[in-house]
Amino acid sequence: MFEQILDAALFDSATRAMIPILLAALGGMICERAGVFQIALEGIMLAGAFAAVAGSYLAISWTLGVVFGIAAGMLISLALAYGTVTRRGDPIVLGIALNLLAMGLTGFLLPQLFDVRGVFQHPRIDGLDRIAIPVLSDIPWVGPVLFDNTILTYVALLLVPGLWVLLFRTAIGLRLRGVGERPLAAETLGVSPTVYKYGAVLASGALAGLAGAQLSLGNVVQFAENMSSGRGWVAVVAVMLGRAHPVGVLAAAALFALAEALGFRFQGNGLPVQITDALPFVVTLLALIIARKRFARLLDLTTAA
Amino acid sequence: MLERVLNGVGDMSRRAVRSPVTFSLLFAFALAAAIVAVTGGDPLAAGGEMFTGAVTGSGLRNTLGRSVPIIGMALAVSIAFRSGIINLGGEGQMVIGGLAGTIVAIYVPGPGYVIVPLAMLAGAVVGAVWGLLPAYGQTWLRLPILITSLLLNYVARAITGYLVRFQLLDDAVTLTSTRQVPETARMPKMPIFGGVSLSLILVIVLVALLWMVYTRSVAGYESQMTGFNMRSARYGGIDVEQRTVQVMVVAGAIGGLIGTHLIIGEALRFIDGELVLAGFAWTGLLVSLLAVNRPIPIFITGMFFSALQIGGLAMQRNAGVSWRLSQVLQAVVIVAVACRLAIRRGERPSTEVSDAESAAVGEV
Repeated sequence: MFEQILDAALFDSATRAMIPILLAALGGMICERAGVFQIALEGIMLAGAFAAVAGSYLAISWTLGVVFGIAAGMLISLALAYGTVTRRGDPIVLGIALNLLAMGLTGFLLPQLFDVRGVFQHPRIDGLDRIAIPVLSDIPWVGPVLFDNTILTYVALLLVPGLWVLLFRTAIGLRLRGVGERPLAAETLGVSPTVYKYGAVLASGALAGLAGAQLSLGNVVQFAENMSSGRGWVAVVAVMLGRAHPVGVLAAAALFALAEALGFRFQGNGLPVQITDALPFVVTLLALIIARKRFARLLDLTTAA
Repeated sequence: MLERVLNGVGDMSRRAVRSPVTFSLLFAFALAAAIVAVTGGDPLAAGGEMFTGAVTGSGLRNTLGRSVPIIGMALAVSIAFRSGIINLGGEGQMVIGGLAGTIVAIYVPGPGYVIVPLAMLAGAVVGAVWGLLPAYGQTWLRLPILITSLLLNYVARAITGYLVRFQLLDDAVTLTSTRQVPETARMPKMPIFGGVSLSLILVIVLVALLWMVYTRSVAGYESQMTGFNMRSARYGGIDVEQRTVQVMVVAGAIGGLIGTHLIIGEALRFIDGELVLAGFAWTGLLVSLLAVNRPIPIFITGMFFSALQIGGLAMQRNAGVSWRLSQVLQAVVIVAVACRLAIRRGERPSTEVSDAESAAVGEV
């Protein structure tokens, strides 16, 4: 039974499911560290997925697609940064509204620009190739699963140690965390919270935009309406569960991705899709219950007003 | 005397012009027009179609019809928001309650005056139970409702999808759908404007009821106090945990009522995934934010957003511009209001906001 289910193909599909969640969650993590509550990841991811497909279609080049995905993500996050940092608006209201804006805008532009409904597929859309890394991809088991993937997969995996170094071993990271934890002290020391918060939110937009690009150019080569389908919210939970630490976030993203991949596998074994689709969300809820001591801050944020 | 009246009117119009809501609406329409122009459409023609489509011909009837789920879901979410509870689970509560109501309407025999109320009751009860899950999650396990209620939407979709596909499937049609609701168990239509669902009366009653509760009762006052500041509400002797559970029960029940109405009054079949598609729960949420969670402004704003959507559909038919533009418009209005954009000179954003409206919108 377990040999049938736990094989390399499962981990391969888990890796693919993990990368978008990981990228978005790393973005959310940066915001969390800077003291900005980021729940627009779902919408940013969706906008990134759409823009990536549009860019790739226009230029017949995945490079431009990825650039478009990043740009779209940063554009939406710019609205979030302006609203929360400059105008001191409520991050929850802005996050919800921006998610809906992305949903409406992609749904509007899809028929308007490409004259299709629901799903946009076209030979002009240039997808991300799988790049096998020499030597590493030959390692049995781990090699094909981790080192024969899209370029964004490597970017995401390298960002885990990269962001750890940035956050905990550089002056920029120290100031960023200072802005999040002790904004007044940071300001007294001449660190501008505005600059760091803007930077964090824009970075999260770029990362969630990349997540969208991986979704629409890497995992599949097409755009489907609402194709982020809750992954951005799972990323929000991954930030909470991973305590806004790169390794923790990676572990949380891996957990959800494994649930998603298992869902696919059970589907192949005859379980109805309606049930397997819910698996990542059920696992997320269970993980929340098990690790529940960790959300005091969010609970304060969302209830004390 | 006349001078004072004129001054009063002038003062009001000045305040209206400077209100963030006015500016946000203008800003949203301007942005939408720009988007239409950039994507190769004619903004003026699209706007004209939108307006005439919403209020002329069958447009008025459709606007009134669509206002039922929008205002209903807005009321549901406003009850939670007023108490500072961020319930994003309206969609799940609506869908799962809607299926419960549909099952009663299809499978319980009896005369319409019994079955219709019974189906609505079933929808309300199941919606309330679904709302209880995140409520207890917060009071017992300290899980934020914001996250759990949202994640449960996907679980509700899966459960209803499974039930429709494997237990309630109508083999006679190619859709993944339940059987049609029998004629006797349908929500009656009123003979006005060419047939508006009786549920509109239900929504109006709800608006009146909530208005009375909020302005005339201790419970309404307590609920609002909890929303302003849970900690001080607790000091003031209000049982915040109990309030959270009560609020989620009422919000879930209204969601279930609306879900049931959408099937036995509109679609007549529960088609898998169809109830989620129109996004009523989310439109309702935006309406409630814009109306600062007050019942009567919710009614007016809900009508307006409904007209936007119906007009949007007409615009899609006649001007070839996708109705989703209405969704963009609605979301932009809220973004702009949340950013507290307004027409004022030399103004600097401050933490102290004098304008009660923008303050309340800014902080759910």
